[in-house]
Amino acid sequence: MFKPNWKKFGIAAGLSLSLVAAGCGSDEGSSDEGSSEGNAEASKEIELSYVEWDTEVASTNVIATVLEEQGFDVTVTPLDNAVMWESVATAETDGMVAAWLPGTHGELYSEYKDQLVDLGPNLEGAAIGLVVPEYMDVNSIADLDAQAESTITGIEPGAGVVAAAESAVKEYENLSDWEVQTSSSGAMATALGEAIEAEEEIVVTGWSPHWKFQKYDLKYLEDPKGVFGEAEQIKTMVRKGLEEDMPKAYKILDQFHWEPADIESVMLAIQNGADAEEAAATWVEENPDKVAEWTKGIK
Amino acid sequence: MLNNIIDFAPEIPIADWTAEFTEKLTETFSFIFTPIEENFDVFMEFVSESLYAIPPLIIMIIVALLAFFITGKKLGLAVFSLVGLWLIYNQGLWEHLMNTFTLVLISSILSVIIGVPFGILMSKSKTAEAIITPILDFMQTMPAFVYLIPAVAFFGIGMVPGVFASLIFATPPTVRFTNLGIRQVSKELVEASEAFGSTGSQKLFKVELPMAKATIMAGINQTVMLALSMVVIASMIGAPGLGREVLSALQRAQVGTGFVAGVGIVILAIIIDRFTQNVNSKGKKA
Repeated sequence: MFKPNWKKFGIAAGLSLSLVAAGCGSDEGSSDEGSSEGNAEASKEIELSYVEWDTEVASTNVIATVLEEQGFDVTVTPLDNAVMWESVATAETDGMVAAWLPGTHGELYSEYKDQLVDLGPNLEGAAIGLVVPEYMDVNSIADLDAQAESTITGIEPGAGVVAAAESAVKEYENLSDWEVQTSSSGAMATALGEAIEAEEEIVVTGWSPHWKFQKYDLKYLEDPKGVFGEAEQIKTMVRKGLEEDMPKAYKILDQFHWEPADIESVMLAIQNGADAEEAAATWVEENPDKVAEWTKGIK
Repeated sequence: MLNNIIDFAPEIPIADWTAEFTEKLTETFSFIFTPIEENFDVFMEFVSESLYAIPPLIIMIIVALLAFFITGKKLGLAVFSLVGLWLIYNQGLWEHLMNTFTLVLISSILSVIIGVPFGILMSKSKTAEAIITPILDFMQTMPAFVYLIPAVAFFGIGMVPGVFASLIFATPPTVRFTNLGIRQVSKELVEASEAFGSTGSQKLFKVELPMAKATIMAGINQTVMLALSMVVIASMIGAPGLGREVLSALQRAQVGTGFVAGVGIVILAIIIDRFTQNVNSKGKKA
């Protein structure tokens, strides 16, 4: 007889507590539609999506810091690759600075390109290809025969660099009995670290900028058949209508552009244990000239 | 030769149909989906922020006290809750915990609200059972990754599509166990209640549901656990919480961070599991 009363009491207490808490809460409007009250940027809330790769963690946090300094309330949301693209295309999020083109995100770009605004590259000189440790005695994809148990360690299935590696296996006769083992970015990095630790052979799908080049002695294998395409660019994509809703934010995102050395310094700081936001804030503080270029013409 | 027999038809464009169907669905029902998404999002954010606004110590004490009384005045779960929650707080994951708890709580409540009526319907009609059972199988076995993209198309990103994905995955046990529980109520009791002239609804609420309560609660317990197992996948579509920490640790190869967030999920799971088990039994003699 006694216990059920306690249960009821507990439930009642819990409910009333949450009600009290509910009373204290403030009612927040939804921020999905940028309310277009003229050009006053009434809605100063902006949501950026990104994919949790080391480059994107660095760049998204840096641009978020800059937007915050300009008085925006920035939310950054990490999403799965495809979901990130979809969210900008459907105006769920306002934009992203993480579009790897033409290779890595090629398929997603062709899927959603009509529903996005392409603000051009924010970083050039990115590359994808097959990467091996410096101590391996091979310099070109054409020279591979049976190293690393004839396996290429890849990242997420569906990533452009994995697709490129799969077509490399088809294109190069010497890779006819090779296979591409898909995993995840993190698992690939771990496998690479383990192999280097043990001085074993390993071939991974690599891309730069990435901290692995800072941390280990690595090299890209030459790609005489050009399967991995030319250098990649990382582009900025925003939702349709952002220019009308938030011209200031649009302009900053449009003017956002930096060099591999910049992004790699932020990435290395994060890799060495700094919090992503801290690392971004530090970089912004130390590079006022760059930031001034991005915020040029913003009152 | 043999292949000619089965090659009579070209490849059926199921993939294209699905894509078109999803698009149509999104367009047709956006007038329903969009308000759901917006209001629900505000509501869930409000719930998790309210929880976060309560001082952690108060929550820890309330949970420990509830655990103490629910388990029949034993100290085990109370101490575990206190230590476990403190550990999560100590690791700086308190806000993530509140977000995850909100996701699990809302998903579970909705699963039960939807699941129990369907379970009752199944128990009352052979036809309903024949129709619903394969649907439940489908819901439980279809890999969650398949409906992540439609979930985003319907409900945007964040908690709401996460709840939607959880619902698909976590509702079936409640339905199944409700059905099972009611079907297991002894025939004699049901006949006796009929003999005393009880109406259909009296029979259901006064005899069948009380008799089936233990089984139904076991189903609800399963549902809550499955909802909890969805938190990492829900984070792929923007749901905040411990799942996001796990996911980002995976993508950045940070074993330590991932483990800490994972332990947070385990602690939450154990607490929720023992709570849902014990609310049902009157202070089980463990």
